[in-house]
Amino acid sequence: MGKTFNPKITAFLCKWCSYTGADLAGTSRLQYPTAIIPIKVMCSSRVDPVFLIRAFLKGADGVLIGGCHPGDCHYESGNYHTRRRFAILQSIFDSLNLEKDRLRLSWISASEGPKFARVCNEFTDKIQKMGPNPTRKNMFI
Amino acid sequence: MSTDSKSGGRIPIENGIEQTLRKVLKESLKSDLIDALLLPVKVPSGDSYAWILMQDPALVEEEASPMAAVMPVQGAKALKSLTRKGNGSLRVAAMMRPCEVRGTIELSKLNQINLDNVTLISYDCPGALPLSDMSDAPQDTEEAFMGLLSERNFESTAVKPVCQFCTEFSMGAADVHIGMADPDTSQLLLISGSEKGTAFLSATGLKVDEEPSAWEKQTDSIQKKRIQQMDKAFQTIQPMVEGFDNLADTFSNCIGCHNCQSACPICYCRQCYSDSKESSLESAYYLDKAEKRGGISLPHDRLMFHVGRLSHMSLSCVSCGQCTDACPVSIPVAKVFSYVAAQTQQAFEYKAGKTAGEAIPLKEYKEDELKKIHEMTKSAESQESPHE
Ligand code: SF4
Ligand code: FES
Repeated sequence: MGKTFNPKITAFLCKWCSYTGADLAGTSRLQYPTAIIPIKVMCSSRVDPVFLIRAFLKGADGVLIGGCHPGDCHYESGNYHTRRRFAILQSIFDSLNLEKDRLRLSWISASEGPKFARVCNEFTDKIQKMGPNPTRKNMFI
Repeated sequence: MSTDSKSGGRIPIENGIEQTLRKVLKESLKSDLIDALLLPVKVPSGDSYAWILMQDPALVEEEASPMAAVMPVQGAKALKSLTRKGNGSLRVAAMMRPCEVRGTIELSKLNQINLDNVTLISYDCPGALPLSDMSDAPQDTEEAFMGLLSERNFESTAVKPVCQFCTEFSMGAADVHIGMADPDTSQLLLISGSEKGTAFLSATGLKVDEEPSAWEKQTDSIQKKRIQQMDKAFQTIQPMVEGFDNLADTFSNCIGCHNCQSACPICYCRQCYSDSKESSLESAYYLDKAEKRGGISLPHDRLMFHVGRLSHMSLSCVSCGQCTDACPVSIPVAKVFSYVAAQTQQAFEYKAGKTAGEAIPLKEYKEDELKKIHEMTKSAESQESPHE
């Protein structure tokens, strides 16, 4: 306690777009927070809501999904399904009052290195303000 | 219930509701329309019911309990085991509670049930009694349920908690429906909900030419009361689940047996992620967590199981309450799931199992929808040339 809060944000990034966008942010030497822990997935629709729940209950202060822009999914419609599942998860978080603002969905293309950096900065700022994940201290989880 | 013009017919009740119904069912089996019936039958020990696929008309009259006091196995599960690999040419009629019909419709949308050649029969359900009542006192429980039926009592507080605020207790997507709420208690009102239903009723020799408006009025007024009950119930459920710590408290005595999931008609996966080896981690992880949190409970991940299950099935949850019946430590699982599911389904303006035609929302999408999420994905986009 009394320590500064260094948020941890798990980011599930689609290999065809957002992950490559993150790479571009790196090679362009753009700064984004070390809070972000990227996980590469084949498509944003690979992210089962359970992955987000698991990250959240294991203490991630924020969880991000990055996918291709609507219409650009490598598998045509994966991201549209992602969006619906995300809506379900948001609704569940709402019903359970689990701070749904800790969940974030973003469309970031392979050429949007700067957008990737901005999303990460913006989201990290927000989480920083929200403080640590409330599940972090509970033993009975 | 809002209904498009339905038509019904009546037969006089002789020797009780069940006996009258058995006769109708028997007639259908003797006709050349139906090859087999799927019906609850009391088990030899007398303290439960099993689903039996029956082909002998004589057995129907001797053994069937078409309206069972409790719901040991959800009917959708029984029908799934029969038709998961297709239904061939077997023509079956299954007698179910409305929530079992809804479960069936959901499973058919998920390709787990094949409804070809299946005729679904339902009835206005006063609620199922808790399963444990039946194992504790079989005879009393059965009598109590028959009492509810014959008194047309739809306001009992003895039925399962979720049944007390069930608003979909009447006719849904069934082909044939028995209007137990009808004010005329001397006759059984049978209503047809589809062409299959009309064929079924005429095969039993019934004249179907009546508009059941008295029944509709009655079910409407019961539904209004049930909606009030639901609002009240949700107000008491809310504090049990809102906020992480309250949720954790509600499930803190969960023993992780996953019975709630095995009893659930919607959870059809052969292996659940929660039971897979992917869901367990190295011991170092747990030690690390114990250090950071001060301690952690083992086996771990009970809440992940419940919230994860909600994320997978709440859109299709039919609030049948089987999860609560199955829980050995009396956690009000069904109340929590019902409460959350009502909101998930509302988000998509969907009612699980209500109509057979539409797809479940997870199977489709619209390009332009979910405005708020769309806004979220837009944020941080501004300074750049728009994406193309
Ligand atoms: S049945 Fe009860 S104890 Fe078993 S996993 Fe479900 S909630 Fe937990
Ligand atoms: S491939 Fe990127 S979201 Fe589907």
